[in-house]
Amino acid sequence: MSSLETVQCWRCSHLHQPTLFCPACQAIQILPLHVEYFRVLGIPRSPVVDETALTQRYYELSRRLHPDLYQTGTAEEKEASLKNTALLNRAYRTLRDPVQRGQYWLELHGERLGRDNNRVPPELAALVFAVQEKLAEIREARAEGKAAGQDELAQIRTDLDEQMTHLRTALAEHLAQWGRDGEGDREGRTASLLSTLKNLLSEIAYLRTLIRDVEKDSDPQWNA
Amino acid sequence: MERIVGIDLGTTNSLVAFVDGDTPRVIPDPQTGDTLLPSVVAFLEDGRTVVGRQAKEMAAEDPLTTIQSVKRFMGLGMAHVSADDLRRYRFADSQGIVRFALHGKQYTPPEVSALILRSLRERADAFFKEPIDKVVITVPAYFNDSQRQATKDAGKLAGLEVIRLLNEPTAASLAYGLDKKEEGLIAVYDLGGGTFDISILRLHTGIFEVLSTNGDTRLGGDDLDQRIAECFLLAGLSETLQQDPQVLTKSLQIAEEAKRVLSAVEETRLVLDVPEKGVHVSRVLTRRAMEEAIEDIVARTLAPCRQALKDAGLKSRDLEAVVLVGGSTRMPFVRQRVGEFFGRTPLADLNPDEVVALGAAVQADTLSGRRRDMLLLDVVPLSLGIETMGGVMSRLIERNTTIPASVKEMFTTAVDDQTAVDIHVLQGEREMAQDCRSLARFKIPIEPHPAGVPRIEVTFMIDANGILSVTATDLRTGRERSVEVKPSYGLTDEEIERLLEESIDFAEADVSKRLLIEARTEADTVLHATEKALHRHTSFLAEGEGERILTAIRALQESKEGEDYNRIRDLTDALSEVTTPFAQRIMDASIQEALQQKRLSEI
Repeated sequence: MSSLETVQCWRCSHLHQPTLFCPACQAIQILPLHVEYFRVLGIPRSPVVDETALTQRYYELSRRLHPDLYQTGTAEEKEASLKNTALLNRAYRTLRDPVQRGQYWLELHGERLGRDNNRVPPELAALVFAVQEKLAEIREARAEGKAAGQDELAQIRTDLDEQMTHLRTALAEHLAQWGRDGEGDREGRTASLLSTLKNLLSEIAYLRTLIRDVEKDSDPQWNA
Repeated sequence: MERIVGIDLGTTNSLVAFVDGDTPRVIPDPQTGDTLLPSVVAFLEDGRTVVGRQAKEMAAEDPLTTIQSVKRFMGLGMAHVSADDLRRYRFADSQGIVRFALHGKQYTPPEVSALILRSLRERADAFFKEPIDKVVITVPAYFNDSQRQATKDAGKLAGLEVIRLLNEPTAASLAYGLDKKEEGLIAVYDLGGGTFDISILRLHTGIFEVLSTNGDTRLGGDDLDQRIAECFLLAGLSETLQQDPQVLTKSLQIAEEAKRVLSAVEETRLVLDVPEKGVHVSRVLTRRAMEEAIEDIVARTLAPCRQALKDAGLKSRDLEAVVLVGGSTRMPFVRQRVGEFFGRTPLADLNPDEVVALGAAVQADTLSGRRRDMLLLDVVPLSLGIETMGGVMSRLIERNTTIPASVKEMFTTAVDDQTAVDIHVLQGEREMAQDCRSLARFKIPIEPHPAGVPRIEVTFMIDANGILSVTATDLRTGRERSVEVKPSYGLTDEEIERLLEESIDFAEADVSKRLLIEARTEADTVLHATEKALHRHTSFLAEGEGERILTAIRALQESKEGEDYNRIRDLTDALSEVTTPFAQRIMDASIQEALQQKRLSEI
């Protein structure tokens, strides 16, 4: 996005850079959808965020943008309030969670995780194999009408949760590292940071699917 | 400032409330003083309808011409009707949306709900001595899009503008938060007559943020009554008698009464008498026996509680309080189980029947612009997605996402010269489309081009009511258009239009007519006086003032031709305001003149 982009206020025609409120007449503006989430929330563009400050900022903006406050307003105000709040909610949800924030950061650098990338990340191969084998055994036992191994499932869950905690910590550290380094102009450095981020995120995504599978087997009633 | 009232449209009872100064209050029936309106509608043979307590009494004698618990059918299709429902209601032989058959006519659930809403509206009209047409209506948090749409349609059919649909547990948290001035994490456990909701919220400096919600829209006090009736009244009767609507309805009423009595005493006597069917059952029921019979139903509320905590990323020890809402939480057994689950004594000091309506009134106050110190951040209860290749549900908006929420998806064509893309919108948590609830299907028309060339960006927006709207933008032409979403189990716009025309509300027409006449008379008085003054005192007009006054006169005269009495009143006020300085000058001058005359006479 060009920082020179200007938009016109619907009420007073004032030309300004995209903001939530017109600098001249304070009327609520529809923020263009490509505005970066960091700018929507008015926080520094960085892979690490101060979560307390983020939430506080989110509350402050919600108090000024929410459709509840424009119920008696004009059609333009209502539309701007609805669209901006939807954008604000998405921005907050994305930046609040390190995994989603990581994915977003990846996208900002022109990369993305393939949605249907089903390859097992090499670092997880051993764990995945063990879990799948165990799950197959339990399903087979159930099909034969035997009481299923709830304890074994619980153990698998514990292992997977541990692995998840481990990966999330690694992700947080990686994002923090990146935040400290800054991006600079060292091409090679950014490429290597990106590649590590991508690996971590695909491991997390894969692990998440695996956990969902195990949950389904642990509590079949819930999904029925 | 516009007046908006809050309505709790319940399965068993409904209420209407408003904010009086700073305090939310329920509006009672002007004749009886009752605050609760039983959500029962009786259909008489001559086409008239009776709503409320009287209808409930009639239900025992003539169950098939009265509709109780209509809320359970909102937004559902005939495919969702159960065997139990078939015993208690007479349905039209139709496909799609549920239709009740009564005296040779058909009624959809929104039409029946509209009759309940009209009755509440009459209460409000009588109370304020002016017609009330703007409302906030509460819905179970776990209601899906179709159920919400059906509720909105019911409002429309009752001649009401539904400013907001508000989730019931969230409404309760508002009333609770105001009352207790407490902050922190709370759970609201809402077990009503027909629906169950659990919501986890964070209360922080006037912000009520829903973190997660879960529930079951077909689980409530009705199920408890049904179970008690089956176990203790119907069990000994023949198959035919068990199926008899009159025996069944009476049994359910006795079961409901017993359930209520057993909250206070340890045992009670059940007496079922239907002499014309030769039925006489009399037995003692203890609280303990009842609790054993309903244990599994109450237990069904706990899985949603577990899931809601998990989705919020919390443990029950993180909670500040657990708040009970809904008539069924009066039962000591429910309180005990909820207490055990959350590991703390739940709070039940707010009236569980009224707290939702009171919360709706508070939100109505905010929406009318009177209140700015509190804000609700609610969520969508179920994931929203579309059907993709192979019948798979592709999730676009995850459950518990804060609303309003929007998401964009890009669509293109698969074959050359394809002229439309079909989109099937789903709601639910299952992986296959067929296991999720179908919300709507629609087509996006596309200009013919080679496959893959068109670029259609579709925006799915869930608004603050939790209701979906869809817009499609052709990225090549930049043209944006809204897409008509045909609900899978709902009324079409034309159907609503037709029903509205059919149901001309005479009472309402009378009130409006009277107010219109009054407004026109007042306008005439002001117009007449102004015109006279303009004619006589032209010299008193300031620069440009005559123009302004004439503009105001013309606007008022034009509005008088119309039927909008509010507009006539507003423009009458506007004319008075614009002529005030002119009138003042005339007044001053005449005083001067009077003084001068006095002096002359003194000489």
